[in-house]
Amino acid sequence: MSLLDEQVSVPRRTMTLFFLIDTSGSMEGSKIGAVNDAVANVLPMLDEISAENPDAEIKVAALEFSSGVNWLYSEPKLASDFVWQDVKAGGLTSLGGACAELSTKLSRSGYMQSASGSFAPAIILLSDGGPTDDFESGLAKLKGNNWFKAAIKIAIAIGDDADKDILKQFAGNSEAVFTVHNIDALKQIIRVVAVTSSQIGSKSSTAGDTTKQEQVIEEVKDAVENIKGAEAATAVDSSSYDDDWD
Amino acid sequence: MNAINFSCQGESHIATGKVCQDYSYSKVYENGNAIAIVCDGHGGKRYFRSDIGAKIAAEVTEQKVTAFIEAVGTTLLSGTKLTERAAISTQIDNREFDKQSPTERAFRQLFGSIIYEWNILVAEHAKATPISEEEKSGLEERWITEFEKGDSLEKVYGCTLIVYASTPAFWFAFQIGDGKCFAVDQNGNWSEPIPWDERCFLNKTTSICDSGAIDEFRYCYEGDGGFPMAIILGSDGIDDSFGAEENQENFYVQILKSLVKEGLEATITEIETTLPQLSKIGSQDDMSIAMVYNQSQIDEAYPRLIEWQICNVKRQIADENEKIAKANKIQQTLDSVEHPTRQNIIDLQYANADEKRAIESRSKLQGRLDTLLVELNGNVKEEISEKDEVCDSEEVAKNENIAPVTEDSDEDLSTDTSEEQPAE
Repeated sequence: MSLLDEQVSVPRRTMTLFFLIDTSGSMEGSKIGAVNDAVANVLPMLDEISAENPDAEIKVAALEFSSGVNWLYSEPKLASDFVWQDVKAGGLTSLGGACAELSTKLSRSGYMQSASGSFAPAIILLSDGGPTDDFESGLAKLKGNNWFKAAIKIAIAIGDDADKDILKQFAGNSEAVFTVHNIDALKQIIRVVAVTSSQIGSKSSTAGDTTKQEQVIEEVKDAVENIKGAEAATAVDSSSYDDDWD
Repeated sequence: MNAINFSCQGESHIATGKVCQDYSYSKVYENGNAIAIVCDGHGGKRYFRSDIGAKIAAEVTEQKVTAFIEAVGTTLLSGTKLTERAAISTQIDNREFDKQSPTERAFRQLFGSIIYEWNILVAEHAKATPISEEEKSGLEERWITEFEKGDSLEKVYGCTLIVYASTPAFWFAFQIGDGKCFAVDQNGNWSEPIPWDERCFLNKTTSICDSGAIDEFRYCYEGDGGFPMAIILGSDGIDDSFGAEENQENFYVQILKSLVKEGLEATITEIETTLPQLSKIGSQDDMSIAMVYNQSQIDEAYPRLIEWQICNVKRQIADENEKIAKANKIQQTLDSVEHPTRQNIIDLQYANADEKRAIESRSKLQGRLDTLLVELNGNVKEEISEKDEVCDSEEVAKNENIAPVTEDSDEDLSTDTSEEQPAE
């Protein structure tokens, strides 16, 4: 008899990619349109990465936050299945509430499976402003979460009005914050960050002692050099671009 | 008693030219004592001699456990019911330690002696074996300097440790770091007798090289005549390949069944063939198992091992049925909507996809169940209902209690953020 016969299940591990999307009033118009367009277009790419990867399958979850918070679906969906529903902008920026909600779902009783069968998640935060609620207590809850601590965390600052210090606190360091100044750059950076995080996050091996987040940052930084209107953290305080959202 | 152990290089280590950093050991002594050990050397660059550290840890542990068993004799654990002790450093305060009984103090002494001896031996190894040019390649300068100065040598050799030891009168098991220890009794019920440490999470682990290692040991012991029929230690490469605990237990049932049907030699060969395959299709990590088992009890329990597998498959079929019912409910609700919204249409698509997947999975599981029923009853495949008493809801609940799920903690209990390294 074989020890790995039909009776034995060796399931693929899972990597969940979370989108946290600011849908406050200031996102209205071209910004939210670009986000909807970019995320919908990147999903087939994530499906390809998942299909070609023997190590893990990729699931996607999306949380929008404005005056409240709302998950697009009540559970993470396989990248192949995820049907993007356009989000609409309006209201305030409950980023603290989003952090608290994310922390609740980053658990085995929420969206995660056994740690043994999972890779650390990747979390992409997109925002164009600053929180209007109690960000500190929401973030404090999230920072005590083991899954969050292990996660790849990247923040995308949409324009100069985005509170980069807040985004830095969320992502853990300023290098993990990327700023975009126009629609095209926003679309491109969403694609690059989502694809890179999924590729690196769903692999078993890592490059030596470099964390997966560091690897993602390095790759995104390289890509950003070729995206007009996008900047890595080092250029945040001396932006060479003006915002252009028309 | 019998014992088996095997370690192999992981698929990702083969790809990157890394040696196997696991080490396993097992032995049955003439006096009837037995021991099984699994050590997993850390994978980060800083831990560039963790394979040697793992081997030293296993060797030291065998010596110290043997001395411990001789020293405590048969009285210390005599009559003691199964007792589980979590790591002191995970407890809210240290008051419990102040109240420790002679048994707890004896175990603490054992752990202290292992750590002490391991530190001496790794320091000696470091002194006798200067850092090579090959080892230096890719290392941060500060680690090279530290090593050459003889500072923090234990980090270079860092590893985890899982141990099971038994005598005719009692048994005990202890652990620092990740990997899992599973026990199965003569009724075919599985358990994890060593308490879990929530600081071992994803690629973080506690370690023998931590400064507070002595407080990170967790352990269990029993001296009332109860013994596991088999106990199997596995490194995290195995855990990560199976995900849910019942998948791993199922794999171990396959090993036990093989010992009954195919015998020891064929089973060892099968393990040696299977673990590299498992690494390839699973975690890609190094793989180790070490086990101690009672062959005559396994022979006798063979039907119950199959019954356990039957229960396991039935539980999975029940889960799939639940998914199908949920999908059907959504389908029925949405079918009656006259003017469906986009959201309704999407929800219906999901329900259809979920139903399809669940039906496919159930069909596969049904095939497994049929095979197991034939295996249990010879060539006669019984109807499912005839075997329902094997895993009625009460029995399932009982089994689930016996084999607790190691629920992950949302709260971060580790004190360091280093990647792929000890959690200290």
